Amino acid sequence: MELQKFQYDNKTVKMFAYATILWGLVGMLVGLIAAIQLYLPAANLNLPYTTFGRLRPLHTNAVIFAFVGNGIFMGVYYSLQRLLKARMFSDLLSKIHFWGWQLIIVLAALTLVLGKTTGKEYAELEWPIDILITLVWVVFGWNMFGTIIRRRERHLYVAIWFYIATFVTVAMLHIVNSIEIPVSFWKSYSWYAGVQDALVQWWYGHNAVAFFLTTPYLGLMYYFLPKIAQRPVYSYRLSIIHFWALIFLYIWAGPHHLLYTSVPDWAQSLGVVFSVMLIAPSWGGMINGLLTLRGAWDRVRDNVGLKFLVVAVTAYGMATFEGPMLSLKNVNAIAHYTDWIVAHVHVGALGWNGFMTFGILYWLIPRLFQTKLYSEKLANMHFWIGTLGIVLYAVPMYWAGFMQSSMWKDFTPEGQLKWQFMDTVTKMIPFYIARSVGGALFLVGAILMTYNLIKTIKVGTFLEIEEDQAPALVGEYQSHSKDHWHRWIERKPIQMLIVSLVVVAIGGIIEFVPVFLVKSNIPTIASVKPYTPLELQGRDIYIREGCYTCHSQMVRPFRSETARYGEYSKAGEFVYDHPFQWGSKRTGPDLARLGGKYPDSWHYNHMMDPTSMSPGSVMPQYPWLLEDQLDANSTISKIKAMQRLGVPYPEGYDKIAIKDMEAQAKEITANLKKDGIETLPDREIVALISYLQRLGKDIKTEGLKAQK
Amino acid sequence: MLMNNFNKIKTLAVAMLIPAVGFCQQQTTKESSSYFSNVLFLTLLVTIIVLAIVIVAFSSVFKNIADSDYLTTKYANKKSEDSSTVKNVTSVVLLLSSLSMMSQEKVAAIAKVNDGRIGGLDQFTFYFMLAIVFLELIVLGLIIYQFNFLVKTYTVVETAAKVKKVESKLMLSLTDAVAIEEEDSIMLDHDYDGIKELDNNLPPWWKYGFYLTIVVAIVYLINYHVIGTGDLQGKEYEKEIAQAKLEVEEFMKTSANNVDESTVKLLTDASDIEAGKTVFIANCAACHGQLGEGTVGPNFADDYWIHGGSVQDIFKSIKYGWVEKGMKSWKEDLSPMQIAQVTSFIKSLRGTNPPNGKAAQGDLYVEGGAAPVSDSTAVVGDTLNVQIKADSLKAAVTTTVATAKK
Repeated sequence: MELQKFQYDNKTVKMFAYATILWGLVGMLVGLIAAIQLYLPAANLNLPYTTFGRLRPLHTNAVIFAFVGNGIFMGVYYSLQRLLKARMFSDLLSKIHFWGWQLIIVLAALTLVLGKTTGKEYAELEWPIDILITLVWVVFGWNMFGTIIRRRERHLYVAIWFYIATFVTVAMLHIVNSIEIPVSFWKSYSWYAGVQDALVQWWYGHNAVAFFLTTPYLGLMYYFLPKIAQRPVYSYRLSIIHFWALIFLYIWAGPHHLLYTSVPDWAQSLGVVFSVMLIAPSWGGMINGLLTLRGAWDRVRDNVGLKFLVVAVTAYGMATFEGPMLSLKNVNAIAHYTDWIVAHVHVGALGWNGFMTFGILYWLIPRLFQTKLYSEKLANMHFWIGTLGIVLYAVPMYWAGFMQSSMWKDFTPEGQLKWQFMDTVTKMIPFYIARSVGGALFLVGAILMTYNLIKTIKVGTFLEIEEDQAPALVGEYQSHSKDHWHRWIERKPIQMLIVSLVVVAIGGIIEFVPVFLVKSNIPTIASVKPYTPLELQGRDIYIREGCYTCHSQMVRPFRSETARYGEYSKAGEFVYDHPFQWGSKRTGPDLARLGGKYPDSWHYNHMMDPTSMSPGSVMPQYPWLLEDQLDANSTISKIKAMQRLGVPYPEGYDKIAIKDMEAQAKEITANLKKDGIETLPDREIVALISYLQRLGKDIKTEGLKAQK
Repeated sequence: MLMNNFNKIKTLAVAMLIPAVGFCQQQTTKESSSYFSNVLFLTLLVTIIVLAIVIVAFSSVFKNIADSDYLTTKYANKKSEDSSTVKNVTSVVLLLSSLSMMSQEKVAAIAKVNDGRIGGLDQFTFYFMLAIVFLELIVLGLIIYQFNFLVKTYTVVETAAKVKKVESKLMLSLTDAVAIEEEDSIMLDHDYDGIKELDNNLPPWWKYGFYLTIVVAIVYLINYHVIGTGDLQGKEYEKEIAQAKLEVEEFMKTSANNVDESTVKLLTDASDIEAGKTVFIANCAACHGQLGEGTVGPNFADDYWIHGGSVQDIFKSIKYGWVEKGMKSWKEDLSPMQIAQVTSFIKSLRGTNPPNGKAAQGDLYVEGGAAPVSDSTAVVGDTLNVQIKADSLKAAVTTTVATAKK
């Protein structure tokens, strides 16, 4: 058979590798600053752009989509070509993909610090960027499938199954979750509201973890681990069953982020049981990785890249066991809203994604530059500093989370809450400090790696033209009778794509359709009314400042929560919340029933300097809210957008909305004046106060009427 | 041959479980709700299922050891001894199962005579399930015993130099893997960029673990959504509140803390005032000033009160709050005694004339005069359903109030 000669595209791989390192450093640095702000709020330098509420989304987006994202593309572009014995389909598409993705990252960074956000966790980017992401993702898929079609290898290796599933599922998640109505160029409202929005959002959020942080990295593991260890993959059979089981089961588990909320019980239960069933398929990946190293453990001792991979796979196993445990309702009742969850995700992010990326880089860069790693010793140092960093990060957070939750739930024998919320905040400070030390160590390790790799690159010469040869695929495949049944789909990439899509679509459909169509899932409450124009504007300020990163708006049905916050939240209360703002972390107290709890002047003073009203508070100051003028003209388009989403403002209300808004603002300024505070009614603080005073009120007035 | 024997044990174990399960089903149809909501019953049931799965998993591991070529050759020399062991095991199991049948009959007879229930279960069900658990434990014990026996034979035969190899063989049995030396036999014929694949079996513990999670998932859904014996969150909440209410009531019966707005009296002990001050600084000062001069909230050092200045009125204002005016209810945060202490501290502030005092708000309050009556009794977040008795309030005698400290 005639051998065909071809060249691999190493340049794109190199560029993605550089981007991975650069964005990794940026993302971790932003994370460190945010971590420091939790005990030193002034670390934002009193600038709106660097407050925790804006940096936290920047950190998560940077490490997930910039660091890990580029890491995925680096690994995929390298392994795909070699597994298929073909050059990437189109150099132009590769270029568009690379620069398009970097453009998205830069736009994301700029818009997030400017407060342009949809307010949906891990999907904060506004609609123009959402469209850009979709386009670039299609380019990636096009390039990948083009390469697959032109392959010289009949069957697709397990790594590529994971790449295909990643491509199709991320496309589905991103499109469905990003359906929103634009209000202006940088502002939109989620098409879904309240419970439905929460369900869609966490279906997306959970599976961003599954199909952006997990499946592509499993694909990378299946290529780089056996490659570096020079051992055959442990079990083909295990690959098949854990791949299909994983992608099918993962998609259902989203509601475990919403246990004990207003989401219908049956959806919560599905989230629980599918999470439990996920243990084995997740561990299948770990087992297949670790057992591939059978007989090669001496190589782990000598090869620093492999060392990183082993810790990565182990961290994956730990995180995927802990995840299902956290999905049990009684465990979740303790852990949710606390730093325990932060510890859990960082074991995955730092251990699995971080260490896997580092391990691949230590192996790949010397190869691309035809040289040896500049310093094995430095790399080993990175390994130990990084591991220590993870431990120092995770242990204090587990401890802090458990402690804070216990304090929240403590009652005196007389039946009073034992601790004020503030007590639980001040108790966290030492743990937050320890955590930031752990994070700093991890960052130092990454800086050591960067130095080491730059030195390596300087010494070596880049292998721009790497030649290989393979026979072309000719004619139909003659299957042998002893072929495993699964071999069929391995030579049919399009069928693989379609079957994967069907498998991942099932869970979402079964969970969404009833919640959207069956009324009893969200019982309506007559007293719940749409927000007034001023409240709506205030809500958008709340979203802009990222308040949801520290405050939840969801009182769970526990004695400790109803005693602290008031009546537990009902599904019908959120029907006009586009988007929902339930939050996932309580660094500060829940705000679902904040309305009427304090006078307007309290909020004014609190925004100016939180410690004046709550001594010990770690909330940053928001002086710009007191000075900045509200963009009153945007009210019209906002009301119109809400009307299009089905919020029942009367016909033509957009025309009188501004008048209503001004009247309500005057009431609040008059109130403030009584307490000696002079402010103009057109300031942002007035709108924010109106929103905060509205929170949870609908159902409160209902309660009042019932008592009278 | 060895494998056959172990299969026998396995089949036996399963066979014994079938009637048990069948029996449970019969029982449950009779009194389904009571049984599935019974913690003891559920615990026993889960124990039985888990043990059964462990037995099946173990016997499969065992089978693999027995299957390995290495062992068969070793055992070929000791055939007679081996088969006798297995026979012993089988007979013991048979004996035990028949014994348990007998005991079941006895228990059943007892149950008819005496209707005493154990942990909410009738004696028959209880002992029957307990017997199954014991049986399973015994089977498991025998398997482990056999397992150890095999390993021992192993190590005795192996020379010291090969101990390491024995360990890896054990590992192989746990993962049901083919040894590295023999892995060519399961090497698949494809090669992806130098990566080859083995076709090892699924590790048994992984496989049965997966089955177990599926069983757990089904049982979970049935429990909460089909037969509805598990409490969903609404019900769970009601129960938690009811339980807490009982506990608090029980505690309050014997507690000195038992004061409310109708029984509260001014406390004059220095220690009480001091305690009140601590609570005040921690919770109230943010709005009312460190010295009670008033900032966001009103001034406490003057003679004017928006909601009445008697001990009872102040106690009530703190306890229930004036939510619409921005004063929250503190009854979930402070104990009645603490509220009384803060009230007394606040009363002690009168006439202290702190700097930057806020202008007077409300009506002039004269000590000993009639307390203003209020009908606003709105309480939000009233978790323990403590209702204000407005009538008893109105009737409250205010004249008993002692004059505040000068």
